[in-house]
Amino acid sequence: MAENNPFPGENNTGHVWDDNLRELNNPPPRWWMIAFWASIIWWIVYGLLYPMWPMPYQPAEGKGYTQGFLGWSQMKEYEESLAQLEAVRAQYEERIRNLTPAEILQDPGLKQYTLASAKVLFGDNCSACHGSGGQGNPGFPVLADDDWLYGGTLAKIQESITNGRKGVMPAHKSTLSPEEIDRLARFVTNLSQGKATEAGWALFRAKGCIACHGPKADGVLSRLPNGDIITVGAANLTDGIWRFEPGGYESAKYTITYGVNQPGVEGTRNAVMPAFGKTGKLDEQSIKKLVVYVHELGGGQ
Amino acid sequence: MEAELEQKYSFEVVRWFTIMAVVYLVVGAFVGVYIASELAWPALNNIFDVPYFTFGRLRPLHTNAVIFAFGGCALMATAFYTVQRTCGVRLWSDKLAWFVFWGWNLIIVAAVITLPLGITQSKEYAELEWPIDILIAVVWLAFTFNFIMTIAIRKTPHIYVSNWFFLGMMVMITYLHVVNSLAIPVGLFKSYSLFSSVQDAMIQWWWGHNAVGFYLTAGFLAIMYYFVPKQANRPVYSYRLSVIHFWALMFGYVWLGAHHLQYTALPDWTGSLGAAVSIAMIIPSWGGAVNGMMTLSGAWDKLRTDYVLRFMIVALAFYAMSTFEGPVMSLKTVNALSHYTDWTIGHVHSGALGWVAGVSIGAIYHMTTRLWHTEMYSVKLVNFHFWTLTIGTVIYIVAMWVSGIMQGLMWRAYDEYGTLAYTFVESVDAMHPYYVMRTIGGAIFLFGAMVMLFNILMTVRKATVSGSLQRARIAAASV
Repeated sequence: MAENNPFPGENNTGHVWDDNLRELNNPPPRWWMIAFWASIIWWIVYGLLYPMWPMPYQPAEGKGYTQGFLGWSQMKEYEESLAQLEAVRAQYEERIRNLTPAEILQDPGLKQYTLASAKVLFGDNCSACHGSGGQGNPGFPVLADDDWLYGGTLAKIQESITNGRKGVMPAHKSTLSPEEIDRLARFVTNLSQGKATEAGWALFRAKGCIACHGPKADGVLSRLPNGDIITVGAANLTDGIWRFEPGGYESAKYTITYGVNQPGVEGTRNAVMPAFGKTGKLDEQSIKKLVVYVHELGGGQ
Repeated sequence: MEAELEQKYSFEVVRWFTIMAVVYLVVGAFVGVYIASELAWPALNNIFDVPYFTFGRLRPLHTNAVIFAFGGCALMATAFYTVQRTCGVRLWSDKLAWFVFWGWNLIIVAAVITLPLGITQSKEYAELEWPIDILIAVVWLAFTFNFIMTIAIRKTPHIYVSNWFFLGMMVMITYLHVVNSLAIPVGLFKSYSLFSSVQDAMIQWWWGHNAVGFYLTAGFLAIMYYFVPKQANRPVYSYRLSVIHFWALMFGYVWLGAHHLQYTALPDWTGSLGAAVSIAMIIPSWGGAVNGMMTLSGAWDKLRTDYVLRFMIVALAFYAMSTFEGPVMSLKTVNALSHYTDWTIGHVHSGALGWVAGVSIGAIYHMTTRLWHTEMYSVKLVNFHFWTLTIGTVIYIVAMWVSGIMQGLMWRAYDEYGTLAYTFVESVDAMHPYYVMRTIGGAIFLFGAMVMLFNILMTVRKATVSGSLQRARIAAASV
């Protein structure tokens, strides 16, 4: 073979492909061979220390594989790191469990803990609709102002988060004439700008709007001696804060025509707040923290 | 000489695979840049107010376009090219090679139509529905069979190292693709995987990682083993090294998949086995990089002038880096931080843009001059492409490193009360500048790919105008 080798004197294997491809007889670099064997040893050692090989199921251990001498398991790692955090949280969590939101607000240390702890709860559960700072989004109420559909007391906020909310408003496209709808839409637009007319008020009362929006059209049916309000969740029409974007005349006309959450009415407004407590999505403790957090966003009553 | 080559070898199908590879490189990179922009500026998802161009629909189109359209055409072009030249014979069947060409392109067209429509098996890197899966298996086996038969009729006494790697890829990808795609059809466009829950996850990542291991590593090492020594006109540094690292990769890589599923419902042993073998695969992987780089020893000066070798060497550097990075990311402590973050995306792209694209592009430039029997239309543009590839890739992976590590740290940061310090959306917000940076890196890479397409098409035009290809063909016919 050597005499046929077209590339003599370079210690190749004697094979040539495609005119000039050939391979040298060099051994692999020494460091590479050492590292290669070390890799195999690493595998063996790792297998002795950590779970590695499937085995017949061992009922006593509830597992079917070699455990490794370190006794590591991902559940153990998880439980240990969670336990560390829970140890820090425990002193606060225990006290919160036995207090009402109002009592938590009385204790500056607990209040601070609750707000820190609820920040992520709010961010992961509420902010998608209500905005990361409670500033609202088109179609979703602001939580940081003092305009509330169902009341901004601690008890009302707790009720809203636990049970959810699903307001209704009838669609008036078949009960009112287009002209009446138009006049009502103008009335509420003017009302929000402080320019309501007596004729508008008369129509508003005559068509029964006050049954939900209240005699003053501020969404309040009546006030109890302790200051609590009675409401069905109807919007305050006097303050220029609109429940549905973009607000104003066209928007109001649309809402009056198609209503809110009306089954079988095509084009009806959808407005639902999920029931975080009833559905089990959040536990009582988390809701309690969120009540404090939302109350402290700026509009709590 | 040219006439002799045209007569001896089947080059026409290789030419078409080569051109299509470059076309799909541009298409795949374009979709990539678009979905990167969607992540940076989410409003782009709804720009047409239809679901077809949202991130969720286009992301699988991007991965399928770059892996199977670009990567597949590059592999098929180079495999058909090198197997002929290293066996000293024409392809066993020209007709079968054309069947592979049209079949593979039909699969790509089917992917382009079905994926934006949302027709998917929801298995990562195996999204295509069952009728297309069957077509893939048929075309892939035709490719494999033609390749094996060409080796069987070879005129050289030994099988060249490139062909081992191509063969390894073909055998393993057949096995992986068929098993992972086993499904029960319930309609023409819908099927359910034969596996459920943790078994499905395990099989999915056994496929997912080995698409990287056997397709994107073994296949492209095959390219490296032919084109580096050929271009440098240097012997492969060590035959024994190539034997050892070949078999180590073949036996080792199949175990890695579960390192994608640590800290999940999979049993503990699967994740730590995957991690242990991942670390043990660094050295066998590096075997290819060492052999490639050492092949250049004594010829390093060629890097100053040889544009093809530049692509190859930078590709090998990215290869060595990402085959180190990946195993490190599979270690439990690192994985706890890196998993589900952009670090993974950065890692994949250092392999995909730096290694796979780099080595293929080098090979394509090498082949183009020989397939069309002419010099490149513009060597300056090739060098320009080299720098866009390198700089674009580096910007991309640096952006993802920073973004990914930041994400991982933000997700698990706790305040002094033992409660989470950041909301998820705060981490999303913090990533925005890096998403913009990634888009810029990708756009630079895309621009280079477009320059390459232009350069290749102008070279083909040059060959047509000067008649170099036609002369070779006429001469071949008269030999």
